[in-house]
Amino acid sequence: MILVSLLPVVCRAYRQILLLIFPSFRQVLLPSLGLSALLLDDPLISTVKHYDLSNVQGTARGWEKDERILMCVPLRDAEVHLPMFFSHLRNFTYPHRLIDLAFLVSDSKDRTLTLLKEHLEMVQADPDPLQPFGEISVIEKDFGQKVQQDVENRHGFAAQASRRKKMAQARNWLLSSTMKPYHSWVYWRDADVETAPPTILEDLMRHNKDVIVPNVWRPLPDWLGGEQPYDLNSWQESETALALAETLDEDAVIVEGYAEYATWRPHLAYLRDPYGDPDVEMEIDGVGGVSILAKARVFRAGAHFPAFSFEKHAETEGFGKMAKRMKFSVIGLPHYTIWHLYEPSADDLKHMERMEEERLEKEAREKEEAERAKRVSESWQDKKGEWEQDKKEIQNKALQKSRERRERGERKSLEGSEQGPHAHAGEEEAEAKRGDWRSNAEANGIEAVEGA
Amino acid sequence: MARPLRRSSPITLILALVLFLGFIIFTLSPSNPVSSIPKSKIASSSSTRKSPNSPPPVIHYYLNNLTTSSDPIGNRERVLVLTPVARFYDEYWQNLLRLNYPRDLIELGFIVPKTREGNTALAKLEDAVRRVQTGSKKHRFWGVTIIRQDFDAPVPQNEKERHALSAQKERRAAMSRARNSLLYTTLGTETAWVLWLDADIIETPHTLIQDLALHDKAVIVPNCYQRYTEKGKENIRPYDFNSWHDSETALAMAKKMGSDEIILEGYHEMATYRSLMAYEMTEGGDPHMETELDGVGGTALLVKAEVHRDGAMFPPFPFYNLIETEGFAKMARRLGHQPYGLPNYLVYHYNE
Repeated sequence: MILVSLLPVVCRAYRQILLLIFPSFRQVLLPSLGLSALLLDDPLISTVKHYDLSNVQGTARGWEKDERILMCVPLRDAEVHLPMFFSHLRNFTYPHRLIDLAFLVSDSKDRTLTLLKEHLEMVQADPDPLQPFGEISVIEKDFGQKVQQDVENRHGFAAQASRRKKMAQARNWLLSSTMKPYHSWVYWRDADVETAPPTILEDLMRHNKDVIVPNVWRPLPDWLGGEQPYDLNSWQESETALALAETLDEDAVIVEGYAEYATWRPHLAYLRDPYGDPDVEMEIDGVGGVSILAKARVFRAGAHFPAFSFEKHAETEGFGKMAKRMKFSVIGLPHYTIWHLYEPSADDLKHMERMEEERLEKEAREKEEAERAKRVSESWQDKKGEWEQDKKEIQNKALQKSRERRERGERKSLEGSEQGPHAHAGEEEAEAKRGDWRSNAEANGIEAVEGA
Repeated sequence: MARPLRRSSPITLILALVLFLGFIIFTLSPSNPVSSIPKSKIASSSSTRKSPNSPPPVIHYYLNNLTTSSDPIGNRERVLVLTPVARFYDEYWQNLLRLNYPRDLIELGFIVPKTREGNTALAKLEDAVRRVQTGSKKHRFWGVTIIRQDFDAPVPQNEKERHALSAQKERRAAMSRARNSLLYTTLGTETAWVLWLDADIIETPHTLIQDLALHDKAVIVPNCYQRYTEKGKENIRPYDFNSWHDSETALAMAKKMGSDEIILEGYHEMATYRSLMAYEMTEGGDPHMETELDGVGGTALLVKAEVHRDGAMFPPFPFYNLIETEGFAKMARRLGHQPYGLPNYLVYHYNE
């Protein structure tokens, strides 16, 4: 009887032990606890996830609060840029485990995809525990890009609108497929950035703005001035541009940096002072896409890269406009500069070709001249020989004379060198000879030699 | 040998036996499996994760293989059902459970505001979700995401205030933000369709998803009605007026308006003379009759995921003087996706 009455107690004790050993039996053993309002993931129900968006607002010091960044990189035929891109990636000082990488490879004809995956596998398998990144998604999606990506086509005015719309579409696909409720920030970065501080994420984040971009310049060959503003898509709106927008039809897209649309907007790029304070902020309306740090809540609220003409703008410029429209802060840093890779444009290439031709021409000319000079000096050598003979004769004569003089008890010094017809002795004869030499040299083109 | 056996109580023996069995099961059962990447036509991973602590693998998504077709079940197309929750109605949940689209192809997403009402709704929702997701495996949904909203809803959501014209812009802007927040955090790489289903839709045909998908349209919306009883007689009446064909009057009105004003449907102050799908229903008409729409309502709405991926969202600001779902229809059209409506295919709204 005692045993029977003890049974429930023992059973309960045993249930506790069982729970310790098999936590997965909890659903069977325990009635619902009614903690639902706590918004906690039940570790036993893997298919149900809870997120409180208040926890992913993004703050100025995200790295201290484990804020996750989604880094989005759109790629097309970018094989050559990947090694450089990954060297930047590895150098990021923001904790790598907090960075989720998302790539969209579209319409690529080169080995971008293969190479990208190789690089990613390598960094994830890195023995240094600080190197591997968070979740990595490589998305392959073609949009049927008809416009070719070479520099001339890419920057040609006519191709801009449709190119930018396609580009916007790619960006939206990338973001909408990979952004998760645990992301606090989204960082957009082009693969062809050549130089950027490894602390760029923290540097931009510190400003605690909804959308923020650095200034983007590019280095140039010396003959083009050494450097140049690159990204003209970060600008402040102007009255002229607004008036211009009024006159355009619904689907028109204003693109910056083309004579066709003179907008007179203040561009972030042109306001750079190399010695200026890198923390200086400037309100902007359009943003360039080379390097954008935005709070994820901007995208969650619906801001995206319009693949249609939104207030006469598309893609990143349209994104800036839309974020502004939704009352988010959009900021550019005029004196914080990153450097885009210099790819010579078609004009530059032509110019460089011309320069190369000129160089070859010049070389050929120099060679010819050198030969001519050689010929000249050879003929000079002949004259010199004559001279030497003459000199000797003169000297002999002079010696004879001096001997005669010495005989007469007189002394006279003699001067002259190998280098030139500079004998002072026997000047009359020498003068006559020099005249002869000059006419000779002129015949050989001495002026050309002097000119060279 | 016999004596000690007699001395020990049977309970000790049983305990020993059960403990021994438990030990055997424990040692033989596999350790916690590392979440593996499901093999599908969309996703693949070349490396596998060796332990939960090793870095995540590189996952390759072939979005060129993603289809949205008129045969979503045959093509195993994933549907994301999204519901902004202000109140939880059991009828909504029961209706959702009655949908006969394969559950392993359905993901659910909910967004709940941080209000007292929201808390209550959340508790009920959690309970309902838990019951399904711990039930038999084949009846579980593929995944459920529950999101707490990060901003406050501007106006209390009671029927009278909700429909006051002055409050509409603010309310619908907040609604847009909630919808977008939900959409862009739950839309995954493998999502083919998005079904927007409001928390107060309590009755739909069980084949809702298949029926709408069958039309293979970028955006398609059924007609939203409401059941009511008048003098003891059951009847139905139109409920959602946001699905419409544009009118010259409305377009002219928009032209005169400032860019920050919105046109709303169903207010006497604002006669738009748009033709509303709500009034185009004919008793006994073909439920599969289609009509092109310029504005859509969001009470029940099937959208191809690519439309949202292209960027069509619910504008939380006046977009062509339109907001929320109506603005969405306009944006979809700007992106080249034409919305359609089914005037004779009815879904029913809760009657407050």
